[in-house]
Amino acid sequence: MSIRTAATIAIAIAITLAGCTTSSDVSRTLGARCDSSGECAGRCLPDGAGYPGGFCTLVCNRSAECPATSACVDREGGACLFSCAGEDSCAFLGEGWRCAEEDLREDTSTKVMVCRGP
Amino acid sequence: MSRAVILLAAVLASAGAATARAEPLPDQGVAAAVGAATGGRLTPGGVRVTGHYLYQLSSQDWFDGTAVFTFGSAQAACFRDRADAVVCNHGLADGTGLELSAGVRRMFAPQGRYQPFARAAVGFALMRFGGDEVTGAGIPLHLGGGIRARVSKDLAVVANGELLVGFAAFNRNLGVAPQIGLAITAGAEFRL
Repeated sequence: MSIRTAATIAIAIAITLAGCTTSSDVSRTLGARCDSSGECAGRCLPDGAGYPGGFCTLVCNRSAECPATSACVDREGGACLFSCAGEDSCAFLGEGWRCAEEDLREDTSTKVMVCRGP
Repeated sequence: MSRAVILLAAVLASAGAATARAEPLPDQGVAAAVGAATGGRLTPGGVRVTGHYLYQLSSQDWFDGTAVFTFGSAQAACFRDRADAVVCNHGLADGTGLELSAGVRRMFAPQGRYQPFARAAVGFALMRFGGDEVTGAGIPLHLGGGIRARVSKDLAVVANGELLVGFAAFNRNLGVAPQIGLAITAGAEFRL
Protein backbone atom coordinates (compact mmCIF):
# COMPACT_ATOMS: atom_id res chain seq x y z
CA MET A 1 0.00 0.00 0.00
CA SER A 2 1.47 3.35 -0.98
CA ILE A 3 1.82 6.16 1.51
CA ARG A 4 -0.65 8.25 -0.49
CA THR A 5 -3.26 5.47 -0.32
CA ALA A 6 -2.69 5.03 3.41
CA ALA A 7 -3.05 8.77 3.98
CA THR A 8 -6.28 8.86 1.97
CA ILE A 9 -7.73 5.98 4.00
CA ALA A 10 -6.68 7.65 7.28
CA ILE A 11 -8.35 10.93 6.32
CA ALA A 12 -11.54 9.09 5.29
CA ILE A 13 -11.62 7.26 8.64
CA ALA A 14 -11.06 10.53 10.50
CA ILE A 15 -13.90 12.25 8.68
CA THR A 16 -16.20 9.29 9.35
CA LEU A 17 -15.35 9.21 13.04
CA ALA A 18 -15.73 12.96 13.34
CA GLY A 19 -19.29 12.56 12.09
CA CYS A 20 -20.17 10.28 15.01
CA THR A 21 -21.62 13.09 17.11
CA THR A 22 -24.13 12.85 19.88
CA SER A 23 -27.38 14.70 19.26
CA SER A 24 -28.13 15.34 22.90
CA ASP A 25 -30.01 18.54 23.72
CA VAL A 26 -28.78 18.53 27.28
CA SER A 27 -25.44 18.97 29.01
CA ARG A 28 -23.79 18.97 32.42
CA THR A 29 -24.68 22.65 32.56
CA LEU A 30 -28.35 22.37 31.73
CA GLY A 31 -30.74 19.49 31.50
CA ALA A 32 -28.71 16.38 32.33
CA ARG A 33 -30.26 13.83 34.66
CA CYS A 34 -28.75 13.86 38.14
CA ASP A 35 -29.02 12.63 41.67
CA SER A 36 -26.46 15.01 43.15
CA SER A 37 -24.69 18.24 42.21
CA GLY A 38 -21.46 16.30 41.59
CA GLU A 39 -22.98 15.17 38.31
CA CYS A 40 -23.57 18.74 37.14
CA ALA A 41 -21.52 21.78 36.22
CA GLY A 42 -23.70 23.79 38.63
CA ARG A 43 -26.35 22.33 40.86
CA CYS A 44 -28.77 19.42 40.72
CA LEU A 45 -32.49 19.91 41.17
CA PRO A 46 -33.40 16.40 42.35
CA ASP A 47 -36.25 14.21 41.31
CA GLY A 48 -37.70 14.43 44.81
CA ALA A 49 -38.03 18.21 44.54
CA GLY A 50 -40.31 17.99 41.52
CA TYR A 51 -37.84 17.63 38.68
CA PRO A 52 -38.45 14.17 37.21
CA GLY A 53 -35.19 12.27 36.75
CA GLY A 54 -33.25 15.17 38.29
CA PHE A 55 -32.17 18.26 36.41
CA CYS A 56 -28.76 19.92 36.16
CA THR A 57 -29.00 23.70 36.21
CA LEU A 58 -27.18 26.86 37.19
CA VAL A 59 -27.91 29.21 40.06
CA CYS A 60 -28.86 32.54 38.52
CA ASN A 61 -30.32 35.99 39.11
CA ARG A 62 -30.70 37.05 35.49
CA SER A 63 -31.53 35.18 32.30
CA ALA A 64 -28.30 36.50 30.81
CA GLU A 65 -26.52 34.11 33.19
CA CYS A 66 -28.31 31.12 31.65
CA PRO A 67 -27.64 29.25 28.41
CA ALA A 68 -29.37 30.76 25.37
CA THR A 69 -32.21 28.24 25.29
CA SER A 70 -33.25 28.89 28.87
CA ALA A 71 -34.53 31.54 31.25
CA CYS A 72 -33.78 32.36 34.88
CA VAL A 73 -36.94 31.76 36.86
CA ASP A 74 -37.84 32.50 40.45
CA ARG A 75 -37.69 28.92 41.71
CA GLU A 76 -35.15 27.31 44.05
CA GLY A 77 -33.60 30.71 44.68
CA GLY A 78 -33.08 31.32 40.97
CA ALA A 79 -32.59 28.51 38.46
CA CYS A 80 -32.17 28.24 34.70
CA LEU A 81 -34.91 26.19 33.05
CA PHE A 82 -35.46 25.47 29.37
CA SER A 83 -37.73 27.97 27.62
CA CYS A 84 -40.71 26.43 25.84
CA ALA A 85 -43.62 27.34 23.58
CA GLY A 86 -45.89 24.36 24.18
CA GLU A 87 -46.08 20.88 25.72
CA ASP A 88 -44.16 19.35 22.81
CA SER A 89 -41.22 21.63 23.56
CA CYS A 90 -40.58 19.79 26.83
CA ALA A 91 -41.06 16.24 25.55
CA PHE A 92 -37.30 15.72 25.18
CA LEU A 93 -36.94 15.93 28.97
CA GLY A 94 -39.07 12.82 29.46
CA GLU A 95 -42.23 11.98 31.31
CA GLY A 96 -43.56 14.38 33.91
CA TRP A 97 -42.22 17.55 32.33
CA ARG A 98 -44.59 20.19 31.07
CA CYS A 99 -44.47 23.70 29.70
CA ALA A 100 -45.76 26.15 32.32
CA GLU A 101 -45.64 29.77 33.31
CA GLU A 102 -43.11 30.95 35.89
CA ASP A 103 -41.99 34.29 37.31
CA LEU A 104 -38.84 35.69 35.78
CA ARG A 105 -36.18 35.91 38.50
CA GLU A 106 -34.97 39.38 37.60
CA ASP A 107 -38.49 40.77 37.32
CA THR A 108 -41.10 38.70 39.14
CA SER A 109 -43.92 40.65 37.55
CA THR A 110 -42.95 39.16 34.19
CA LYS A 111 -44.02 35.63 33.30
CA VAL A 112 -42.05 33.27 31.07
CA MET A 113 -42.87 29.81 29.74
CA VAL A 114 -40.38 27.16 30.89
CA CYS A 115 -40.17 23.39 31.17
CA ARG A 116 -40.73 22.23 34.74
CA GLY A 117 -41.95 19.27 36.72
CA PRO A 118 -45.53 18.68 37.82
CA MET B 1 46.72 -34.38 9.89
CA SER B 2 47.83 -31.25 11.69
CA ARG B 3 48.24 -29.46 8.32
CA ALA B 4 44.65 -30.36 7.42
CA VAL B 5 43.37 -29.00 10.74
CA ILE B 6 45.28 -25.75 10.31
CA LEU B 7 43.98 -25.37 6.75
CA LEU B 8 40.39 -26.02 7.86
CA ALA B 9 40.72 -23.49 10.70
CA ALA B 10 42.09 -20.89 8.27
CA VAL B 11 39.20 -21.46 5.85
CA LEU B 12 36.59 -21.17 8.63
CA ALA B 13 38.22 -18.04 10.01
CA SER B 14 38.27 -16.35 6.62
CA ALA B 15 34.63 -17.37 6.00
CA GLY B 16 33.62 -15.90 9.38
CA ALA B 17 35.40 -12.66 8.59
CA ALA B 18 33.64 -12.46 5.24
CA THR B 19 30.26 -13.05 6.92
CA ALA B 20 30.99 -10.32 9.45
CA ARG B 21 31.79 -7.87 6.68
CA ALA B 22 28.64 -8.77 4.71
CA GLU B 23 26.25 -8.50 7.70
CA PRO B 24 27.19 -5.51 9.83
CA LEU B 25 25.30 -5.04 13.04
CA PRO B 26 22.04 -3.07 12.44
CA ASP B 27 21.81 0.52 13.55
CA GLN B 28 19.78 1.23 16.63
CA GLY B 29 18.66 4.43 18.24
CA VAL B 30 16.63 5.95 21.01
CA ALA B 31 14.64 9.16 20.91
CA ALA B 32 12.66 11.32 23.28
CA ALA B 33 10.19 13.98 22.26
CA VAL B 34 7.66 16.34 23.78
CA GLY B 35 4.71 18.08 22.20
CA ALA B 36 0.96 18.42 22.24
CA ALA B 37 -1.91 16.11 21.42
CA THR B 38 -5.48 17.06 20.72
CA GLY B 39 -8.16 14.66 21.80
CA GLY B 40 -11.81 15.28 22.56
CA ARG B 41 -14.81 13.32 23.78
CA LEU B 42 -13.15 10.06 24.85
CA THR B 43 -9.71 10.58 23.32
CA PRO B 44 -7.15 12.00 25.76
CA GLY B 45 -5.24 15.12 24.81
CA GLY B 46 -2.77 17.50 26.37
CA VAL B 47 0.98 17.50 26.79
CA ARG B 48 2.54 14.53 25.05
CA VAL B 49 5.83 12.90 25.96
CA THR B 50 7.17 10.06 23.85
CA GLY B 51 10.10 7.68 24.03
CA HIS B 52 11.24 5.67 21.01
CA TYR B 53 13.42 2.67 20.39
CA LEU B 54 14.53 2.47 16.77
CA TYR B 55 16.01 -0.54 15.03
CA GLN B 56 17.05 -0.52 11.41
CA LEU B 57 15.25 -3.15 9.35
CA SER B 58 16.47 -2.19 5.88
CA SER B 59 18.07 0.71 4.08
CA GLN B 60 14.77 2.62 4.27
CA ASP B 61 12.74 1.10 7.08
CA TRP B 62 13.16 1.25 10.83
CA PHE B 63 11.21 -0.51 13.53
CA ASP B 64 9.83 2.15 15.87
CA GLY B 65 8.73 1.00 19.32
CA THR B 66 7.16 3.85 21.23
CA ALA B 67 5.90 4.64 24.71
CA VAL B 68 3.47 7.56 24.70
CA PHE B 69 2.33 9.52 27.75
CA THR B 70 -0.45 12.08 27.45
CA PHE B 71 -1.19 14.47 30.28
CA GLY B 72 -4.41 16.50 30.08
CA SER B 73 -6.78 17.99 32.61
CA ALA B 74 -8.99 15.89 34.85
CA GLN B 75 -12.00 18.13 34.32
CA ALA B 76 -15.35 16.33 34.46
CA ALA B 77 -17.29 16.38 31.19
CA CYS B 78 -19.60 13.38 31.33
CA PHE B 79 -23.28 13.48 32.18
CA ARG B 80 -26.43 11.40 31.95
CA ASP B 81 -28.73 12.44 29.14
CA ARG B 82 -32.50 12.29 29.51
CA ALA B 83 -32.52 8.65 28.35
CA ASP B 84 -30.11 7.93 31.24
CA ALA B 85 -27.23 7.15 28.88
CA VAL B 86 -23.78 8.45 29.87
CA VAL B 87 -22.42 11.00 27.38
CA CYS B 88 -18.89 12.41 27.54
CA ASN B 89 -17.85 15.63 25.83
CA HIS B 90 -14.28 16.12 26.93
CA GLY B 91 -12.26 18.97 25.52
CA LEU B 92 -9.18 18.84 23.33
CA ALA B 93 -6.80 18.68 26.29
CA ASP B 94 -8.57 16.44 28.81
CA GLY B 95 -7.64 13.04 30.15
CA THR B 96 -4.46 11.07 30.63
CA GLY B 97 -3.14 8.23 28.56
CA LEU B 98 -0.40 5.64 28.38
CA GLU B 99 0.29 3.78 25.18
CA LEU B 100 2.79 1.30 23.84
CA SER B 101 3.00 1.06 20.08
CA ALA B 102 5.00 -0.71 17.44
CA GLY B 103 5.41 0.47 13.90
CA VAL B 104 7.62 1.23 10.97
CA ARG B 105 9.31 4.47 10.05
CA ARG B 106 10.17 4.75 6.37
CA MET B 107 12.99 7.17 5.65
CA PHE B 108 13.00 9.00 2.34
CA ALA B 109 15.95 10.36 0.41
CA PRO B 110 17.86 12.94 2.47
CA GLN B 111 18.00 16.52 1.31
CA GLY B 112 21.21 17.79 2.80
CA ARG B 113 20.98 17.46 6.56
CA TYR B 114 17.24 16.91 6.42
CA GLN B 115 15.52 13.61 5.87
CA PRO B 116 11.73 13.28 5.69
CA PHE B 117 9.97 10.15 6.86
CA ALA B 118 6.57 8.55 7.11
CA ARG B 119 5.46 6.50 10.07
CA ALA B 120 2.69 3.98 10.71
CA ALA B 121 2.14 2.18 13.99
CA VAL B 122 -0.44 0.29 15.98
CA GLY B 123 -0.61 0.41 19.74
CA PHE B 124 -2.32 -0.62 22.94
CA ALA B 125 -3.52 2.31 25.01
CA LEU B 126 -4.92 2.84 28.47
CA MET B 127 -6.72 6.10 29.20
CA ARG B 128 -8.42 7.76 32.13
CA PHE B 129 -10.61 10.79 32.61
CA GLY B 130 -10.22 11.31 36.33
CA GLY B 131 -13.01 13.83 36.89
CA ASP B 132 -15.57 11.37 35.57
CA GLU B 133 -13.96 8.16 36.81
CA VAL B 134 -13.95 6.93 33.22
CA THR B 135 -11.27 4.41 32.28
CA GLY B 136 -10.72 2.71 28.95
CA ALA B 137 -8.43 0.56 26.85
CA GLY B 138 -8.04 0.78 23.11
CA ILE B 139 -6.21 -0.07 19.94
CA PRO B 140 -5.11 3.12 18.17
CA LEU B 141 -3.58 3.33 14.72
CA HIS B 142 -1.03 6.07 14.09
CA LEU B 143 -0.30 7.53 10.67
CA GLY B 144 2.02 10.44 10.20
CA GLY B 145 5.39 11.68 9.26
CA GLY B 146 8.04 14.18 9.99
CA ILE B 147 11.51 15.34 9.33
CA ARG B 148 14.85 14.41 10.83
CA ALA B 149 17.62 16.98 10.92
CA ARG B 150 21.07 15.54 11.48
CA VAL B 151 23.13 17.48 14.00
CA SER B 152 26.09 15.10 14.21
CA LYS B 153 26.89 11.50 13.35
CA ASP B 154 25.00 10.22 16.37
CA LEU B 155 22.50 12.98 17.10
CA ALA B 156 19.52 14.33 15.21
CA VAL B 157 16.59 16.59 15.92
CA VAL B 158 13.23 15.13 14.90
CA ALA B 159 9.83 16.75 14.37
CA ASN B 160 6.81 14.52 13.95
CA GLY B 161 3.12 14.99 13.26
CA GLU B 162 0.53 12.26 13.26
CA LEU B 163 -3.11 11.35 13.10
CA LEU B 164 -4.52 8.84 15.54
CA VAL B 165 -7.64 6.79 14.81
CA GLY B 166 -9.01 3.74 16.54
CA PHE B 167 -11.46 2.41 19.03
CA ALA B 168 -11.49 1.95 22.78
CA ALA B 169 -13.75 0.28 25.32
CA PHE B 170 -14.77 2.19 28.44
CA ASN B 171 -16.42 1.56 31.79
CA ARG B 172 -19.56 3.36 33.08
CA ASN B 173 -21.62 1.68 30.35
CA LEU B 174 -19.97 3.85 27.71
CA GLY B 175 -19.12 0.77 25.65
CA VAL B 176 -16.85 1.10 22.63
CA ALA B 177 -16.14 4.61 21.36
CA PRO B 178 -14.07 5.94 18.46
CA GLN B 179 -10.68 7.48 19.09
CA ILE B 180 -9.41 10.34 16.97
CA GLY B 181 -6.69 12.85 17.60
CA LEU B 182 -3.73 14.75 16.28
CA ALA B 183 -0.29 15.11 17.80
CA ILE B 184 2.80 17.16 17.11
CA THR B 185 6.07 16.43 18.85
CA ALA B 186 9.70 17.43 18.58
CA GLY B 187 12.73 15.89 20.20
CA ALA B 188 16.18 14.42 19.92
CA GLU B 189 17.33 11.11 18.50
CA PHE B 190 20.52 9.33 19.44
CA ARG B 191 22.17 6.50 17.53
CA LEU B 192 23.35 3.69 19.78
